[in-house]
Amino acid sequence: MILKKEFIHIFRDRITLLLVLAMPVALVLLFGFTISTDIHNASIAVLDHAKDTQSQNFIQKLSSSNYFQIVSYPSTEAEIDFQFKENNIKLAIIIPQNFESQLEKEHSATIQIIDDVSDLNIASILNNYVRSVTQDFQNEYNQHITSADAFSITTKMEYNSNMESVYMFVPGIITLIMILVTALMSSITLAREKETGTMRMLFITPVNKIHIVIGKVIPYMIISFLSTIVIIIISVFVFKMPLNGSILFLLLLCIIFMLTAASFGMLISTISTTQLDAMMITMMGLFLPTVLLSGFLFPLNSMPMIFQVLANVFPAKWFILAIKDVMIKGSGFFDVWPYLTILFGMAVVFISISLKMLDKRN
Amino acid sequence: MNSIEVDHLTKKFGDFTAVNEISFQVKEGEIFGFLGANGAGKTTAIKMMSGLLQPTSGTAIVAGYDVVTQPKLIKRNIGYMSQRFSLYNDLTVFENMQLFGTIYKIPRKELKKRIMDSLAALDMTKQANLLVHSIPLGWKQKLAFATAILHKPKIVFLDEPTSGVDPIVRREFWNLIYETASTGVTILVTTHYMDEAEYCHRISIMADGNIRLLGTPEELKQQVGVNTINDVFVEYVKH
Amino acid sequence: MNALSVQKVSKVYNKTVQALRDITFEIREGELFGLVGPDGAGKSTLFNILTTLLLPDSGDIKILDMDLIADYKAVRQVIGYLPGTFSLYPDLSVKENLDFFAVMYKSDIEANMDLIRPIWRQIEPFSKRKAGKLSGGMKQKLALCCALIHRPRILFLDEPTTGVDPVSRKEFWEILQAIRTQGITVLVSTPYMDEATLCDRIALIQNGSILGIDTPEAIMKHFRGSLYTFRSADIFSLLNALKQCPLQCNYYPYGEHCHIAFYEDMEKAMPQFLQFLEEQHQEHGEITAIQPSIEDCFIEIVKMNSHE
Repeated sequence: MILKKEFIHIFRDRITLLLVLAMPVALVLLFGFTISTDIHNASIAVLDHAKDTQSQNFIQKLSSSNYFQIVSYPSTEAEIDFQFKENNIKLAIIIPQNFESQLEKEHSATIQIIDDVSDLNIASILNNYVRSVTQDFQNEYNQHITSADAFSITTKMEYNSNMESVYMFVPGIITLIMILVTALMSSITLAREKETGTMRMLFITPVNKIHIVIGKVIPYMIISFLSTIVIIIISVFVFKMPLNGSILFLLLLCIIFMLTAASFGMLISTISTTQLDAMMITMMGLFLPTVLLSGFLFPLNSMPMIFQVLANVFPAKWFILAIKDVMIKGSGFFDVWPYLTILFGMAVVFISISLKMLDKRN
Repeated sequence: MNSIEVDHLTKKFGDFTAVNEISFQVKEGEIFGFLGANGAGKTTAIKMMSGLLQPTSGTAIVAGYDVVTQPKLIKRNIGYMSQRFSLYNDLTVFENMQLFGTIYKIPRKELKKRIMDSLAALDMTKQANLLVHSIPLGWKQKLAFATAILHKPKIVFLDEPTSGVDPIVRREFWNLIYETASTGVTILVTTHYMDEAEYCHRISIMADGNIRLLGTPEELKQQVGVNTINDVFVEYVKH
Repeated sequence: MNALSVQKVSKVYNKTVQALRDITFEIREGELFGLVGPDGAGKSTLFNILTTLLLPDSGDIKILDMDLIADYKAVRQVIGYLPGTFSLYPDLSVKENLDFFAVMYKSDIEANMDLIRPIWRQIEPFSKRKAGKLSGGMKQKLALCCALIHRPRILFLDEPTTGVDPVSRKEFWEILQAIRTQGITVLVSTPYMDEATLCDRIALIQNGSILGIDTPEAIMKHFRGSLYTFRSADIFSLLNALKQCPLQCNYYPYGEHCHIAFYEDMEKAMPQFLQFLEEQHQEHGEITAIQPSIEDCFIEIVKMNSHE
């Protein structure tokens, strides 16, 4: 009944409804089109230690893609540094010695990528291009041989080993939406009941307080879950984001994070008495840290130590780490279980504190 | 001299007529009781008289100014106090009075003197630096009244000033009203306490946007043939 | 059996504000009990405690022989509450509000319709309208229906008539009397002294303490002074003159009259008083002995307390 009533509230409040439904789509499109604008003919340098047939093929592949323009072939790593300092290149690639024989004998080789840290966004985009070129190269090669001889090339990045993905914004937006819809909306709706005095009316009925709170929070969890699915669909089909992990596991991950966000919203609503309070506390206590300290817009490892430590306290960082691994690396439960445990633990702690606060009758 | 002259004042909200061609005059220094059931149109009428709301038709001259053309001058020359909004709880008594005094542009030195004088008159000098939040409701209401007349307005509108206040403080409050009126200030007051209606020089009773009765409490009782204003009210505001 | 028994209940807020001190009273089943006192007297705190929303610092409370603190779940099923401010969902319709509260109490509208029918009939024409768009009187009737929908055995009403005009107030008290005849115990608070006489018994409350509990008649009987009413054309100048009065008395305006309560042997004091009036040129006017009202009693009790 509380659930039904909450849905009536939501559907009667057209503006909020529109905002909640349209925001995820708008955010994804906004970020998608602004951040992932294609970069053509970026200047790069290639240091070829191997100088064999395969390395030549690979370089050929690189330069024939219209992503890159190879502007120099340095012969030492010091030269690469120099090129970076002179701002001649955006990225450098180092092909290891014995590239060809490694591929033939060990079926694997590692190409090293060096980024220009001064522009992390571009760096991460270029990284991805290198990846996709490498992938193409590998696929072409593997087509002609039997699977036993297939090889793989891994890329190794320097300077910033976390910047694997241009698609960073997708986990980021999913996180934001869940925080906004689940935590913010549920803390506001609970605070509104306090403000109108209806919370008192609910509390003097024989219904359990926890049922009241759950009934009020679930509709927002459902809405934000739907938003999340919309975001994933858009990012996979419109922006061609890879989804390497299991979709079911991804959704489970989202549900767990939603629980964490909702429990945070509950906690906020127990300490705030007005909707304005609830909004301010959610914004300052949860939303801003999520934007700033989750590694979503600003890479964490370039921040002062204190912020890196602080970031651990907020659920967003852990969720983003987990979702990235699942979507891009295709990780499963056994790879990301520590993150899941942390998120779940946070939810348990928040919920138990808010229940305790709710139970106090004063 | 009349300090309020209302002439066929009307306010319509769409199809609904909140105030329907009311006319009356209030003399300088008079205490005028403005009674009526909830939703009879009292608040709308007061809003028009204090320049907050444009009438649909009709006019009113308040403190010598026209509500239609000179609402700003009216606001400067009236005081207003309501039961709901009166003082800021998180400011001290003195800060509250200073704030309202400054809004009315009372010169700094003069303002300080007036505040101290009016606190002394209320016997509240010691409480000047207490947060309004911490003083009892009855005192708050007296203080709100003192604040409303700090800029020496010619007319004060009091909207249910004594709602929920205890019987003793209620009487002290009326004492203040009497003292203020005796200095020539016109008072227009609404109340749901019918004994307070008897303290007014004249009263009007509104129902459905119209003024049904108007006169001194004595006249009204005689006219209706009952003993108390409460009976007059019940007789005229049957639902 | 007592419907409600409150023993030595105290509550202090923030360690400094004593909202209630040693409140003790009992309400019998089926009684219409009034809690009469000004704003800030502690009425709302008491209601919050009685409706299980707030824990007292000390004291015992039993509702229908159930311990309010230990058995609060069971207590919630038998109490109904009409708060002082409108506390329903403004964006839900009249019917939706009522349905919602019925379900929250695992009851349904039909089961207790006979109890609320007289009130419901007045708001039924608006059942599709949003509750926020109702007039004040209608809102209150809806709130009352919601508070009664589970047929509580005790109904708490926190200042239901504050800020309400005399006609609507009278109507509301008629509704309360009707509810009472259905066997529901009623505890109602009010700042209006005249409403006290409509209760079976009342408790006068001020500054967190109960000043007296009795039937309205008994309270009026225990008035200690000799009360006179003085009718004068100019009450303001009369009150000013009375400041000089040498006799032991309380005086205050009361409607068009001035009430004077003497604490003297009136056979000797009256001639003295008349002479005083003459000296003050206030002799025109009639002075009559009258029976005190609850308001007179409240004023006397508060003044006595402040002297002690």
